[in-house]
Amino acid sequence: MRKLLLISTVVFTVLAILFSVLPMDTLAFLPIGIAIALSLTTLLKSDENQKKFPKILLIISVICSVFVLGKTLFIKDEVEVDQKFEQQKIETKQEAKKELEELENDLE
Amino acid sequence: MKRILLLIPVFLILLSFSSASRMQVKAGERLVYNGSYNMSGLMTQLAQVTMSTENVSTAKNNYLHLSCELSTYSKWDKFFKIRDIYETYVHPVTLKPSLYKRSIDEGGYTKKEKYVFKNNKITSTVKKRTYPESSRTFNIKPTSIDAVSILYQLRLVDFSKMQAGQTKSYTIVFDEKEIPVTLRYMGKEEVKAGNLGTKECYKISIGAKTDALRGKDKNLIWLTADSKKIPALIKFSIPVGTGQLALSSATGI
Repeated sequence: MRKLLLISTVVFTVLAILFSVLPMDTLAFLPIGIAIALSLTTLLKSDENQKKFPKILLIISVICSVFVLGKTLFIKDEVEVDQKFEQQKIETKQEAKKELEELENDLE
Repeated sequence: MKRILLLIPVFLILLSFSSASRMQVKAGERLVYNGSYNMSGLMTQLAQVTMSTENVSTAKNNYLHLSCELSTYSKWDKFFKIRDIYETYVHPVTLKPSLYKRSIDEGGYTKKEKYVFKNNKITSTVKKRTYPESSRTFNIKPTSIDAVSILYQLRLVDFSKMQAGQTKSYTIVFDEKEIPVTLRYMGKEEVKAGNLGTKECYKISIGAKTDALRGKDKNLIWLTADSKKIPALIKFSIPVGTGQLALSSATGI
């Protein structure tokens, strides 16, 4: 039972780290929450000499949660200025003007 | 991530109904929205949607250029970059479309679409990825309009004269198909409207005969209950989940 719990904790802690690094926003709290809950359960099921590893996993999960919370609160969502996209918009507008003139000629 | 591909079409369909009145839509308007998607019960901000208007003139005519852009936030760009433009050139007063263009780039998937409106016909030109360009002409109803211009007509509807539960039916052209759309006025509610603050809004439920929308009264739009009728909040339910577009900034209104 403890072994199974420990494996699950490791899996969810890895997922928590991945989700924290990736731009998953608050979605990262899902694996983090599960990892914390599993870490605590594993800690309770462990003997005194077996508690070091679950404690490390718990600390990692807590650090992840603080990291994600910080990202959510302090990093503003922004759209990068994309020169290619801006150029495309200018070209599309120029093309549209020509197409409108062609349409006007067709309708005459 | 493919789920977010549905954001723009759904956004446009949600706004797809027109009005009887013919007030002028102002050039120089810019509305910015935060697009979020519900991932496992949590709203995750994915993209910014910008709607803008400007005057465009040819040698013979003046047009109003209505544009709707979607760009993913920079944090997503490395994983799934989206740069979409939906635009239309309409008569400044009647808002009748002459030219509709759609250019999408969604994680490398590209598609360009052009509709030329000529009387009750559309000549469409479509280019997907590396496939050859295809073109066809098809008939439309005299009242059918494109998905962008109709969203501006929506704001001309006089909801103050509508009773809760009252409906209106319209038709839009999207993906070379005519789609019947029905709106149902549901009354008034207060919602946050970005830099406009908390505003009293008209709540409208949208139903479209398309697989893109799911659920009854799950596709909703809130328009500020004033003369501007700015879309303040849009909630949508699609086959793969739910999401929303929340107004963050409105300028030039």
